[in-house]
Amino acid sequence: MSGCNKKLKEEPNSILVPAFFQTSQGLQAGLDAAYAGMRNFWGAQELFTATVIGTDEFQRGVDGNSDINLYSYTSTHSTTTTLWKAAYVFINTCNGVIDYADKTDLPAATKNTIVAEAKFLRANYYFILVQFWGDVTLNLHFQSEATTAAKRDPMGDVYDAIIQDLKDAIAVLPASPKSNGVLSGKATAVAAKHVLAKVYLTRAGSAVKKADDYQNAYNTAVDIINNKATLGLNLLPDFSKVFAEGNEDNEEVLWTVQHTANLAYNGPNNSGISSSNGISTYSADNVLNHMWVGQYEKRPGMIRSTAYGRPYIRCIPTRWLTDTAFKERVNDTRYSKTFQTVWYANNPDPKGYPVWTSPLPAGAPADAVVGQPKFKLGDTAIYMPGVDKTKAQIAASRYLLIPPGNYDNTLSATMVKYFDTKRADLNSPSVRPVIAFRLAETYLVAAESAYMLGLPDAVKYINAVRERAAYPTGNATAMDVTASDLSLDFILDERTRELCGENVRWWDLVRTGKLLQRVRMHNKEAAANIIEKHVLRPIPQAQIDATTTGDPYNNSLYFPLWN
Amino acid sequence: MLHFPHQKRYGNTFFKNSAFIAVCLLCFSIMLPAILHAQEKTVTVKGTVKNETGEPLSGVSVIVKGTTIGSTTKADGVFQITVPVNSTLSITMVGFVNKEIKIGSVDQSDLGISLSSDKLEMDKVIVVGYGTRRKSDITGSIVSISEQSIKDIPSSNLATAIQGQGAGIDIQRSGANSKPGATPNILIRGSRSLGASNDPLIVVDGIPFNGSINDLNQDDVASVEVLKDGSSTAIYGSRGANGVILISTKRGKTAKPVFTYSGYVGTSKLTKEFPVMNAAEFTDLKKWANIIANPGKYTGLDDPLFLTNGVFDPAEVEGIKNGRNTDWQSLIYKTGMITDHQLGVSGGNDQTQYAISGGYFNQTGIYYGQSFERSTVKLSVDQQLGKIFKVGLNSLNTYSVRKGESANPMAQALRASPLASPYDSAGNILNTYVPGSANQVWNPLADLIPGAAVENRKRLGTFTTLYLEANLFKGLKYRLNAGAEIRSDVYGNFYSDKTSFRVNQGGSASSNRNEVSNNYTLENLLIYDATIAQKHKLNFTGLYSLQEVSSKSNQFDNTNILADYLAYFNPTYGSNLKGSGSSSKADILSYMGRVNYSFNDRYLLTLTIRADGSSRLAEGNKWHSFPSAAFAWNVSRENFMQTIPAISNLKLRASYGSVGQQSIKAFQTLGQLSGLVYNYGSNMVTGAYLTSTINNTLTWEYTKTANLGIDFGLLGNRITGSVEVYKAFTNSLLLPQTLPPTSGIPNPIVTNVGKTENRGIEVHISTTNIQAQTRNDFSWTSDFNFFLNRGKVTQLAGGVTKDVANGWFVGQPLDVYYDYKRQGIWQNTAEDTAAAKALGLSVSGTSSVIGTIRVADLSGPDGKPDSKIDATNDRIIVGTSQPKWEGGTTQRFGFRGFDLTVVAFARWGYTMNSSLYGGGFVNTYQGTYNNIKTHYWTPENHEPWNPKANSAATNPLNRSVMSYFDGSFLKIRSISLGYNLDPSLVKRIGAKNFRVYATAADPFILFSPYRKAGGIDPEGSGTVGVDTPPTWSMIFGINMSF
Repeated sequence: MSGCNKKLKEEPNSILVPAFFQTSQGLQAGLDAAYAGMRNFWGAQELFTATVIGTDEFQRGVDGNSDINLYSYTSTHSTTTTLWKAAYVFINTCNGVIDYADKTDLPAATKNTIVAEAKFLRANYYFILVQFWGDVTLNLHFQSEATTAAKRDPMGDVYDAIIQDLKDAIAVLPASPKSNGVLSGKATAVAAKHVLAKVYLTRAGSAVKKADDYQNAYNTAVDIINNKATLGLNLLPDFSKVFAEGNEDNEEVLWTVQHTANLAYNGPNNSGISSSNGISTYSADNVLNHMWVGQYEKRPGMIRSTAYGRPYIRCIPTRWLTDTAFKERVNDTRYSKTFQTVWYANNPDPKGYPVWTSPLPAGAPADAVVGQPKFKLGDTAIYMPGVDKTKAQIAASRYLLIPPGNYDNTLSATMVKYFDTKRADLNSPSVRPVIAFRLAETYLVAAESAYMLGLPDAVKYINAVRERAAYPTGNATAMDVTASDLSLDFILDERTRELCGENVRWWDLVRTGKLLQRVRMHNKEAAANIIEKHVLRPIPQAQIDATTTGDPYNNSLYFPLWN
Repeated sequence: MLHFPHQKRYGNTFFKNSAFIAVCLLCFSIMLPAILHAQEKTVTVKGTVKNETGEPLSGVSVIVKGTTIGSTTKADGVFQITVPVNSTLSITMVGFVNKEIKIGSVDQSDLGISLSSDKLEMDKVIVVGYGTRRKSDITGSIVSISEQSIKDIPSSNLATAIQGQGAGIDIQRSGANSKPGATPNILIRGSRSLGASNDPLIVVDGIPFNGSINDLNQDDVASVEVLKDGSSTAIYGSRGANGVILISTKRGKTAKPVFTYSGYVGTSKLTKEFPVMNAAEFTDLKKWANIIANPGKYTGLDDPLFLTNGVFDPAEVEGIKNGRNTDWQSLIYKTGMITDHQLGVSGGNDQTQYAISGGYFNQTGIYYGQSFERSTVKLSVDQQLGKIFKVGLNSLNTYSVRKGESANPMAQALRASPLASPYDSAGNILNTYVPGSANQVWNPLADLIPGAAVENRKRLGTFTTLYLEANLFKGLKYRLNAGAEIRSDVYGNFYSDKTSFRVNQGGSASSNRNEVSNNYTLENLLIYDATIAQKHKLNFTGLYSLQEVSSKSNQFDNTNILADYLAYFNPTYGSNLKGSGSSSKADILSYMGRVNYSFNDRYLLTLTIRADGSSRLAEGNKWHSFPSAAFAWNVSRENFMQTIPAISNLKLRASYGSVGQQSIKAFQTLGQLSGLVYNYGSNMVTGAYLTSTINNTLTWEYTKTANLGIDFGLLGNRITGSVEVYKAFTNSLLLPQTLPPTSGIPNPIVTNVGKTENRGIEVHISTTNIQAQTRNDFSWTSDFNFFLNRGKVTQLAGGVTKDVANGWFVGQPLDVYYDYKRQGIWQNTAEDTAAAKALGLSVSGTSSVIGTIRVADLSGPDGKPDSKIDATNDRIIVGTSQPKWEGGTTQRFGFRGFDLTVVAFARWGYTMNSSLYGGGFVNTYQGTYNNIKTHYWTPENHEPWNPKANSAATNPLNRSVMSYFDGSFLKIRSISLGYNLDPSLVKRIGAKNFRVYATAADPFILFSPYRKAGGIDPEGSGTVGVDTPPTWSMIFGINMSF
């Protein structure tokens, strides 16, 4: 009988059980998963939606999510729910790595590096949470047992934990992505410092600010800038090269979230975070390439192509962004390097082209012939001059001429930073790594903290970014500003010109206390709805509903209206 | 009487073993008097048994009453037996009324016995767990479905054939589609488990069956018994909580070889097309969607801007000009074919009986590329070896091919613009996106190009059981049952680049999964029968068994296959190869003892105990005992009842028992990490993160059922029936509990928390309305069943009264819909505008709620309406999928060899969830895709129920509330008209039996509010989805034997 009783013992041989985490192989696998978790944020649609749309920079496109842009969403919204869930899954993964490192027989140095990387990642996950939700649950130890209780910890404690993690990471991690043997996408001390500077700066703008936050932000950012040569880092001379395809490891880049053309190791190859049987599998693609692409394919002479992208058209620039923030286009080359304004005809079918009709419009080109196509394959099909045109000019144009007044939510000037022409298919997501942090932002963090401290350095750091923007055709010195030009609004405008679309804007506006004011001024659709409570995201209903023991989890700490 | 303490500690088997031995000893001591029973003087009796028409009957059991002395008749109906003087012979055969004949003290050489057939089968022998019982000796609640009832409904699987035929058995199509080879959902006495399975245990020829119901050929089935109450199911212990379906297959009889052929062919057709808009309606929808999304931009529906500004694709503009109206659905449906053939031979002599049969079933769906084909071979042999031993083999072998199981053309066919053409100017299939559908809808006809979309599931398996029986000495029998079930399931698919399957993904893709499952069961049974002093009958059954299920699988997926014709056969030629695999094994170890005792055939007692250990549960919680008791009183056999001639049968039954449930996946107690891929530049890695926690406390979920029943027969059994009342309490529910996301553990944990209750009433009535004396007379019999089940959650984890994340509410049924309360549409009136503003809703611009679905502000944080619509306070239970009652009826008419059978069933008083209207992809009112045809709100028509079109909204606000409907229905399951050739004619062609018939399956839905609202068929478990629509079919068949 005892022989038969052995039959009742389970011997899994095709699944990974939690004990694996406590082995040296398991520890490494845990760290890899903690990195992979970042794909659910940088590059995924959710973080894009929550940071890009509903700001002064971008409003929803025709296929966009109007709830977020209109501030008409509730606690059940999938965007915020998904972000919340994913962050905690991978915080727990980091916790596992940090707690179990000592149980493995790895060499001390290896262990220390692994723990430092996990702390860098954990700090980043918490930083995302605290910026969206304020007081959040702070859990710094591996949770392997079921719990149905949860509580919100004070925001100040969360910031303290983030800062401690980053300091611990800085002490151990290799100096820079350019240091010897550092693999692409790995955490480094300079990336941790950059985040630390942003954390200080952000806390300085929050309810739990500390007196030396701006000073610490300034010191940390300036430290990076002063040591950039030894770190092998620098601002690239040409702004357009920062986001050039295949150049994601350039010397301006501090940290990337990786993707690969080896699709078996990329995301699920669709547009979102994948799920099976209702359970998310936390494998996510970089879909930023799709987000800004308009419906060019519905215009004459155009069909969908890999080069021009898949028209998700989740957002379009606000008129303030294209017309005001980027008004200067002579010495500042960033407008033309940030936006696509011309499309060349790519429809091989000759029937897809418009013909001149009789009578020819006044001012038609000299070679226009009634009944003949206005243009042909390879010619300009769509052009956005960026300045006003008369109706007559539009009618006389051989191609589709779209002045800013005719931008609409199906097609507008198109942000190109994430374009990816090397995807498997015209509908495939991007295989490019996502640049999360880069040195130009470090300069802008230095400038912002210096400005808040009243230090004259602010001008120096902002001008460094502006002068680079003149390359190669503009006059760099003409880009320089003086102390009298500086204001918090100017710094935000400069951040837009440099960083627009880079998944930071909503946080920038909240940090500087400018969200309501700027959204009301520049984002017409959102203006009517946005109110004070919108500087935080609602605690997801899934969290509230699943917290069935202990104190209820709720939103009411700051904004009872969220409930 | 027999009660094992719960086995709480792992390894404590000594006590269990000793208890088992104690039970054996007890039974042996009861047997002793019988063993000592002495022989007396004997006489020899020879005779012939015939039926009413004078045909000899073989296999009739002739037993000396009160003893085990017996014989059976041979092929010519003859038997010979030596019996004690002055004995009574009991002549019994299934389907015939028992007869008793007194034998005096002289030999008889030519005793003629005629048995009359018992249509009502009041005393037929039915299969119970580990044995058979006469129906009059049954103490529990068992539904028996005859071979005839199964034959009445020719269908692709057994579950469909018994739908509507038994009270308490709720069989529904899963998801309401008509895919060939789809298996229905079976629920016995409602659902009781929230987290674990509610599927009943299926036992085929005594051995638990783990395959699909599709692996069985219903032509091989002789009877189906469904065990429902705690006492009947307790014998299956840990696996019996959801009821047990016992399937007996046909075996050989002592008779000359009989050849049988049965076959049918038929067609199936679409019940009804999905109600989508035509070209003109869609044109208006698209215009309204854009007018509403762009206030002030258009002058109205006739604005010429619509034709030039890209709202309509150039191809759609052309369609508008040409008056094109493509009915996409009509292009993808066809007539399905059904074919079934079964050829068999059976027979045997005293020593050997055999049955061999081969079957072939083929069904093609109404959508190209969907089919199900099954070939079966069955062999059964029973061999007597001397006086003591008997061995037997029964082997069911199946090969099936199912094609297109996930092919669902509806997302394309229902959403494609009716203004667009499926063909290019040259008449070829346009192999691209359908114009005007936002590059999301691929031409559904492209999937039909041969080789473009391939999906096959091939299953090859055997279910073979062997037994060895030894009559150790009088009344005591040992039996070894060994069952092996080995199946291979190979699933492969390939979708070429240009198919709807690859929309927005790019490149072809293939996948191939190989799974082999090996299950075996070993059972040692000891059976003892004794009759003491004529009036005391005792039966003991003891069991020790081991069941093991194991399976292994491997899968690959890849994309960009070099050549389409390689399909899924060679993963080398492709890119992005991914692999996965699994291996699992689970065991159950069991001890069981059962005692049946009856006194004077009037008082019947059944006591059962089973102890099971399961490998799936946590250490220390693996073992549990499941005791039960049942009592029955055959009132009609009491003397005082003989004075009431109208009551021919009356039996009262009561039972109480406990059964378990452990049908959770293996390895649930261990916790699990999941893999996640990543890369550092060109360094590819696979990480792992925790997705499920360790679970050290997982134990059995068990159900205790109390059952009261009455069996009755009136007017000489012209009216028979039964009424059952039961109450079942399920404890320690295996529940997947969703953890707060802050725990960092994404997957729900399976815990033993919570309780549910089920109570219900079941009524079965059979009547012989008009009894025929001869073949030429008119006859009419009816069966009715009616049942209701009320299930509710009575306790949840942590003492909470609601668990919104999982949709569970204490005091409410197990499956409820929790949503906002639908109030119609926000109208463009001053009153509604003010009310919307008061709720903080926008009433102007593109985000205006005017014209959208209005839901009620029911409550707030203080328990009062708070002028705010929110998920926490304003959602309520809007319905349940648990019906108020269900019922079915079978009416059989006969006249001059013709028979007409009508089977109807109803499910009444429940809420269904239709993703056709809410939650799905065809009722978005976005105007981007074609839409379900409804009268939707426009600023002009003030429609009060369906929202406005809006191209700026992917879906209507609060769209989920559109999905609820009254699901009640009454439908005719089948109408069958048959003709039995005149016996003399049959004889002349050398046959024994010849019947032709025609059957219409699912011909009518007589009542359905959902259908009235535009839907097709409300029947379906869970959400009624949008998939290959339901069908009705017409078949013609022959049954013959010779």
